[in-house]
Amino acid sequence: MFQVIGGRSVQAARVLAPRSAVLVEAVRGRKSRTDPVAKSKVGRIKVPPPVDPEEMVVLKERYGEYQMIMRALRLEARQEAQEHRVLMDLNHLENQRMLKLRIVRVQKEKEEADRKKFEVILQREQEQQEIVKEKEKEILQLQEDAKNFITLENLDQRIEEALDNPKNYNFAIDKQGKVVKQTMLQ
Amino acid sequence: FAAPKASFSAVLLSASCDAASLLLKKYHGGYVVLRFALAGHKQANRPFYRIVAAYNKRARDGKYLEQLGSYDPLPNISNEKLVSLNFDRIKYWIGCGAHTTKPVAKLLGLAGFFPLHPMTITDAERQRAQTELTATGTEDGLREGRKEAEV
Repeated sequence: MFQVIGGRSVQAARVLAPRSAVLVEAVRGRKSRTDPVAKSKVGRIKVPPPVDPEEMVVLKERYGEYQMIMRALRLEARQEAQEHRVLMDLNHLENQRMLKLRIVRVQKEKEEADRKKFEVILQREQEQQEIVKEKEKEILQLQEDAKNFITLENLDQRIEEALDNPKNYNFAIDKQGKVVKQTMLQ
Repeated sequence: FAAPKASFSAVLLSASCDAASLLLKKYHGGYVVLRFALAGHKQANRPFYRIVAAYNKRARDGKYLEQLGSYDPLPNISNEKLVSLNFDRIKYWIGCGAHTTKPVAKLLGLAGFFPLHPMTITDAERQRAQTELTATGTEDGLREGRKEAEV
């Protein structure tokens, strides 16, 4: 029952007043099965706490009720858990379905966008080509006109020609729009 | 339970709560309990409990499956003992077939999640009888003392 102690707790315990030479402290459960009963406990008969019969009846009833309610609650919880699992599975399936649909839709939209881009590019290229054609036409026109230009070599010849062929630019027009080119030339 | 039931009528599955926990059940061979575990704050004379779902044979403060709340046994400045409970997960574990220890059952009864534990009511009645006895005892004692004083 008592155990010898030493160390730091010794100083404190010394102050708390042991009369014995050796310091001891109480430790639980030191006796083994074969040890004899202590002298102070020789005639002891252990008696359980007294039970009030009326209280016992009331208690039994209360316990019965309690256990019934607990059983019902457990069942309800179980059912709820199962329902929850079913719903989660349904939700999962739904998500999968929506995912598939979404993938298809996104694919289609991407293709549409690509096609549109391609079309725009084609349009631009066509416009470029038309511009190029126009420019070429202008160049050809210019080349054609260049044949009639007056250069240093042609200068004298053209002056002679102009002086030889006087051109009359005068004309008359009346309110009805009739043009008259024949005029008096000096 | 205070929470409303799901209105969806489902086919009842006979499968157990957790597919993974069957393996664990084979290994542990025990059942799940909701109980108090001392949170190791390493401070003497200042306990703090966690309400925990653990296997039955595990150490009290050992590895648990899930923490479902806490309980502070010492009253605070406003003379309140603080308790926290995760009702959603508690319901799940009860549905999985977890047991509860007596103190946890009493606490949940006081919280309103379970019905009131019979011993809570009985203890309250006993305490009330005791206080009434001592009150009448002191009254009688006072009356006797007054009579003696008069006499």
